[in-house]
Amino acid sequence: MLKCKHVEQRADALVDGERLPFGEHLALRAHLMICRHCRRYLRQLQALVRTLRRSPAPLSDTHTEALVERIVDRQSE
Amino acid sequence: MANADLETPEFIERLRAGDRAAFALVVKHYHPRLLGAARTLLQPADAEEAVQDGWIAAHRALPKFEGRSALLTWLTRIVINQARMQLRKGGREVQFDPTEEGATDALAHRFNANGHWQEPPRAWALSGPDALLTRDELQHCLESHITAMPDNQRLALQLRDIQGLDFDDICNIMDVSASNVRVLLHRARARLFQMVDRFQETGEC
Repeated sequence: MLKCKHVEQRADALVDGERLPFGEHLALRAHLMICRHCRRYLRQLQALVRTLRRSPAPLSDTHTEALVERIVDRQSE
Repeated sequence: MANADLETPEFIERLRAGDRAAFALVVKHYHPRLLGAARTLLQPADAEEAVQDGWIAAHRALPKFEGRSALLTWLTRIVINQARMQLRKGGREVQFDPTEEGATDALAHRFNANGHWQEPPRAWALSGPDALLTRDELQHCLESHITAMPDNQRLALQLRDIQGLDFDDICNIMDVSASNVRVLLHRARARLFQMVDRFQETGEC
């Protein structure tokens, strides 16, 4: 039987959709079925990780052009 | 233009051939992401300089870019190297290998000697008007905890959870093994989990 501490350490792999060895995957799932604390940990960790994801907006055309100008100029210095 | 379009062989060929409009598109879409990566190691003004130096180095090296990794991965690696060089100039060295840092799992104290929860996670309000993770104070608190992390944990978190890069790309950028990236990411997430759990109980950052 897995310990909760092991589940806490491997929950990241589940969050990341990593392919785990069959036996380990089964053991994690079996533990999660009977342990509500670990289920909560996994669910909340997933929510936290989703919250962090951000795609920054692209630069404006004016800012891009000024930057490209500077890059090309400085390279030819 | 979607980021995927910047990674096609046809587009890379235009870049290699020195097409200025193609280069401008890459700058437009990738500059903010590269800046995000550089800011994990440097103050904002220094990060801006590191990214600009990175662009200059990349622009020079583009004709020789072989496409063995994605363009974004290659650029991020160049920028991170620039950032490390800047740190070195200021007498600082960043160690990406987690075995060197002596940090531990921020949740370790919440398990008993048998490895079971002695202080289980609290139930977070995840939906409804009180949804915890959408609250501004918590967002500020997350930001400040991310800023306070060791550099290597913050960079792994930035590349994986904030920017959504693949593990292989992160290993390539940081030049550490996949298991080390996982250790760093686990430590970073455990810190944030502990912080949010505490916030849920006390409302304090």
